[in-house]
Amino acid sequence: MEKRIGVYICHCGGNISDYVDVEKVRQSVENDDNIVLAKTTMFACSDANQNEMVEDIKNHNLDAVIVASCSPKLHLVTFRNVTERGDLNKYTYVHANIREQASWAHADNFPAATDKTIQLVKAAIAKSRTTKALEPTKIKAERSVAVIGAGVTGMKAAITLAEKDTHVFLIEKESQVGGWVAKWKDLFMTEETGDMIVKQLHEDLKKRQNVSILLNSEVIGNVGSIGNISLKIKQKEEEFDITVGSVLVATGFEPYKPKEDEFGFGKVPNVITLPEFKQLIDHEKGKLMYNGKKVENIAYIYCVGSRQPEGGNTYCSRYCCTATIHAAIEARKKFKDIQNYHFTRGVRSYGKQELLYAESLQGGDIFLQSYEDDLPTVFARNNRPVVRINDILTGGKELEVEADLVVLVTGMAPRSNDTVGSLFKLPRGRDRFFNEVHMKLRPVETVIDGITIAGACQGPKTILESVNSALAAATKSYSNISKGVLETDPQIATIDVKACTGCGDCIPECPFDAISMVEDKGKTVAVINNTLCKGCGMCTPVCPTDAIDLVAFSNVQIMGMIDALV
Amino acid sequence: MATINPKFGKNLKKYGGFNFNACYNCGNCTAICSISTKDSSFPREMVRYSVLGVEDEIITSTKPWECYYCGECSTHCPQDANPGELMMSLRRWLTAKYDWTGLSGLFYKYLPATILAMLAVLAGVILFANRAEWNLESMLHFGHLFEMIAIATVFAVILAPNLVRMWYFTIIKAGVKVPLKTYLTALNDLLVHMFTQKRAKDCDDNHFRWLEHLILVFAYLALLFTTVFLNWFGTENLFVIILGYVESALIFIITVDFVKDRIQKKKALAKKSQPSDWFFVIWLLLMGLTAFLVRLFIDINILESNKWMYLFHLMVLAQWALIIVPFGKWTHFLYRSFAMYFVKIKSMKSGVKVKK
Repeated sequence: MEKRIGVYICHCGGNISDYVDVEKVRQSVENDDNIVLAKTTMFACSDANQNEMVEDIKNHNLDAVIVASCSPKLHLVTFRNVTERGDLNKYTYVHANIREQASWAHADNFPAATDKTIQLVKAAIAKSRTTKALEPTKIKAERSVAVIGAGVTGMKAAITLAEKDTHVFLIEKESQVGGWVAKWKDLFMTEETGDMIVKQLHEDLKKRQNVSILLNSEVIGNVGSIGNISLKIKQKEEEFDITVGSVLVATGFEPYKPKEDEFGFGKVPNVITLPEFKQLIDHEKGKLMYNGKKVENIAYIYCVGSRQPEGGNTYCSRYCCTATIHAAIEARKKFKDIQNYHFTRGVRSYGKQELLYAESLQGGDIFLQSYEDDLPTVFARNNRPVVRINDILTGGKELEVEADLVVLVTGMAPRSNDTVGSLFKLPRGRDRFFNEVHMKLRPVETVIDGITIAGACQGPKTILESVNSALAAATKSYSNISKGVLETDPQIATIDVKACTGCGDCIPECPFDAISMVEDKGKTVAVINNTLCKGCGMCTPVCPTDAIDLVAFSNVQIMGMIDALV
Repeated sequence: MATINPKFGKNLKKYGGFNFNACYNCGNCTAICSISTKDSSFPREMVRYSVLGVEDEIITSTKPWECYYCGECSTHCPQDANPGELMMSLRRWLTAKYDWTGLSGLFYKYLPATILAMLAVLAGVILFANRAEWNLESMLHFGHLFEMIAIATVFAVILAPNLVRMWYFTIIKAGVKVPLKTYLTALNDLLVHMFTQKRAKDCDDNHFRWLEHLILVFAYLALLFTTVFLNWFGTENLFVIILGYVESALIFIITVDFVKDRIQKKKALAKKSQPSDWFFVIWLLLMGLTAFLVRLFIDINILESNKWMYLFHLMVLAQWALIIVPFGKWTHFLYRSFAMYFVKIKSMKSGVKVKK
């Protein structure tokens, strides 16, 4: 049966029609084979036109439509939905991008823009002729989730998932839950201490039947894909497998460890890091003593291991300005005669944390500031640390403070142990933290389906921000498995078993580990894991016998499009 | 190289009602100041030095004297740090530092010390009256004599050495070396600024206050001249008598307006009055008032039966001359003009033009 195709050419309110003669485009394709209908429209995406398309599909008995308009990133899904409303399979829809690729790109040459548009539309028609209806692959999904890391993020995520009747395996490497927060006492903006918050979460988790807390445990193996992921767990000497539908990674951060002699660390006496200082003031009573001497003058050097000009960590660790100001205020309140000197690179106490900065100023803390190309120096004098700075707030004047204690405000660094990251093939950003798919719109998903990330493993976060992301990732992981069945995109690679020689050239090309070798009727052939394959097409060009084809971007279709273009 | 000394700021707070801890170094104060220039910018810099306690930078600076306290900086400070009042406090602190006797600092920081000193002078006046056996003629005679001696002594013993100390701090300690001729060439600036406060006219919203101040300065100096050298209370010359009336009335009227401002607290400069400000303006008011009344009592012939009026005037005068002039706010008359003089000298050395 001959295919009946409808073509819509969009003006985009002038964005296209100001440069491209859309009527000429319409005329040059309306008499092509299979074209039943060719129209121009002011806005293809408008409700009126969408409804007209649905009517056209029914009245003209169309079995495929093409819209030539903006980028498919903007409206591919829109028109696929229109196709479905016209009772067609949505994968029969073909999109031609004539705005970004023609009218905008060739705004300086109207006739050429029109010619190119005609060719693009003809290519789309060529593709449409061979487009087939497709159905998504359905797979069973285990209603359980593994949460890796039982810090505040992991614990909160586990509770959220458990509330949704999902079995949760909370996997923790250490012998107790709580991570860093369990070690902290006073926190900003709350009367609760860090250990109290952890205890509260722990009590909640213990009450739940559907949460298994696995302490002293590490994930050492990962097989399968979204919906059915088999993890090998090593708990002390014992090894066992669990099967989950989704994995939520919340492995957290490590405090930056200063290098030898970085701001005098390890070389000048009485130079410590912020976590060490926090421990010190949380546990000292009465007088603040360090190395047997009373501490009065404390110098804080900010941005150690953060906002480094080059080579190192260029990011801002976000939490440290507030954490330092908070710790300094706590120290001043708890102990007598404390004078705080903050050597900053600009204070970033955003949001409500600004109140803390104001409190610190009012209490008499002194703030100095340097640029990244002229950092403060720390050296020893009479066995005491001295900090020297060219303070930009004092017109670059050289100032110094003889301190009793120098606190290096160390930021958050990614985990140096990469077991989890490499096991799940989680991509890392330039900052070496785990990367989300989209910073703003998909902030907790990874490119690996079914694997979500939350908390400080993704980048420096405060407790509040970590918990926010925990809730988001738990919801996202839950949505993967909630129906018990998963649908995956059918636009993936397929293998022609007859043509496949089993050479294996395609395997290293696949970024998702979706190809493996199996025995089939006495010969070794490649096979695609439908749930792992993303349809990226990396494998197709390397196949010496053209045994691999991409559904919806098949060799026949691509060749047809090229023929139409040239 | 300077060492940070937070204790400085704690001490400075005894000199005025500012809150420099609130400062987050935005610099709005300097931006809004109509007399701060690129080469000589304030008040943020002075706020910063005060916070850090870089005493050397402050004591060698003339900038506190270059500010005439229009109050714009305090009005526009987003943190209510009150930089204008800080500059005022620095002027008090500098006054205390210039004073070799140390009494200025004592009086600024401790109100009871000022009150005690005032009472001591009162006691002295009563003793004096007692020794003169409450004889009006004798009291008038010695009172007039006292005026002359007090002016000469206070200037020679207190004010002149203090000016030398100011010169030492702002010129020598600051490392400025200029030939003697420069001091003579710049002398013109000293006189202009001393008698006109010309620079204050550059303060944006300040023209009426400047005019009031100008009239007050001339009325005060003229009254001083009229009473001391033209012997207003003893003269028969009608012109001198009327002149004295006009001068004392002007002093009274203008100081009443100043006191009213300080009570109403509408303007930034009048919001944080310190005891030294009150003493200065009220005693000046009383000087005008009592001088006027004493001469009036003479003219309507009732002073003989109201000797207390003269004694009251004498008390005000003595307290003024012995406490407020040498150790109080009066000294700004000298320090401000000398500061402008030194600024001029410094500029002549470096060849930098200073905005007048």
